[in-house]
Amino acid sequence: MTVDELDPLIHVPARLRVVATLAALPDGDTLSFTRLQDMIGLTPGNLITHLRKLEDAGYVGVEKIGSGVASRTSVALTILGRAAFTSYSAALRDLLTGPTPPND
Amino acid sequence: MSEELNRVDTAAVDTEGGLDPAAAAALLDRATDSAVRQFNVWPPLLLVVGAVLFPVAFGVVWSSVRAQHPYKGPGGGALLIFYAIITVWVIVVGIVLRRATVGVGGRSARQRKIEALGFAGMLITVYVFQGALLHEGVSHAVVYGVYPVTAPFIFVGSASAIVAAAREEWRTVRVAVPLIAVALGAAFAGPVAVWLVIGIGIALVLLGLAIAQVRGRRVRTVA
Repeated sequence: MTVDELDPLIHVPARLRVVATLAALPDGDTLSFTRLQDMIGLTPGNLITHLRKLEDAGYVGVEKIGSGVASRTSVALTILGRAAFTSYSAALRDLLTGPTPPND
Repeated sequence: MSEELNRVDTAAVDTEGGLDPAAAAALLDRATDSAVRQFNVWPPLLLVVGAVLFPVAFGVVWSSVRAQHPYKGPGGGALLIFYAIITVWVIVVGIVLRRATVGVGGRSARQRKIEALGFAGMLITVYVFQGALLHEGVSHAVVYGVYPVTAPFIFVGSASAIVAAAREEWRTVRVAVPLIAVALGAAFAGPVAVWLVIGIGIALVLLGLAIAQVRGRRVRTVA
């Protein structure tokens, strides 16, 4: 396992924080764009760019409810995104501590 | 994709690469820890506040009944203080819950609403049944002592444990089961001591949970 084999979509500081934050929610939960932005501390434009990349890869789902001032955008990790994050975390652990021996 | 996310932002900074595994692991730990703390509806500080308030609330009632022979039940003044403290606790829990769950939607939010209604209904039935016990001439020691102090914790705790276990939410199970055990143990302490036993028991459970959470933070998933 090398650094190059880590998922490049997640292995970026901002996106790693986004995915780790969304992964802390129970499966099936969503997070509003404003709360996510508040937690991550990115500018709206920066966060939008990263979310777009994650959404294009199918890692996050983005839903907009309502329109105008009352609109609310919510973000959630997809099943694919959660699996990718789990794989990324395991790969990172293997890189740092060596691969986990398989169970007999 | 939403309109908001389609907006082009030329100022967006996309720092690709340049992250070594150790730095990534540290960042992952920090991000996860921060998120878990911010989504936590039972933070350690809240548990410590509860560990102070509950013994005080139940202790006030205990001090009002400890000299009663035979047992008649808590005095009006003691109950007033008791419910004032419980009200403060409910308000504090509400504020923390609101802060932790703002912006969080989906399944958990729906479940919380259903659970709140269910538990409120269950508490009402507990106290309606208390009226039935009084109506049937059951002693004050049970109607105004053992039953109202322990029954809410046993019934609501059991329901919470069952629901949480079905969802594999073991943290909630670890809260509910000790509370049920404390309430069951307190039920054998008699109508006077039950107030003190449950107050101290709840405090110990809450403190134990607070300590477990703080220790848990030190053991992180990666590296």
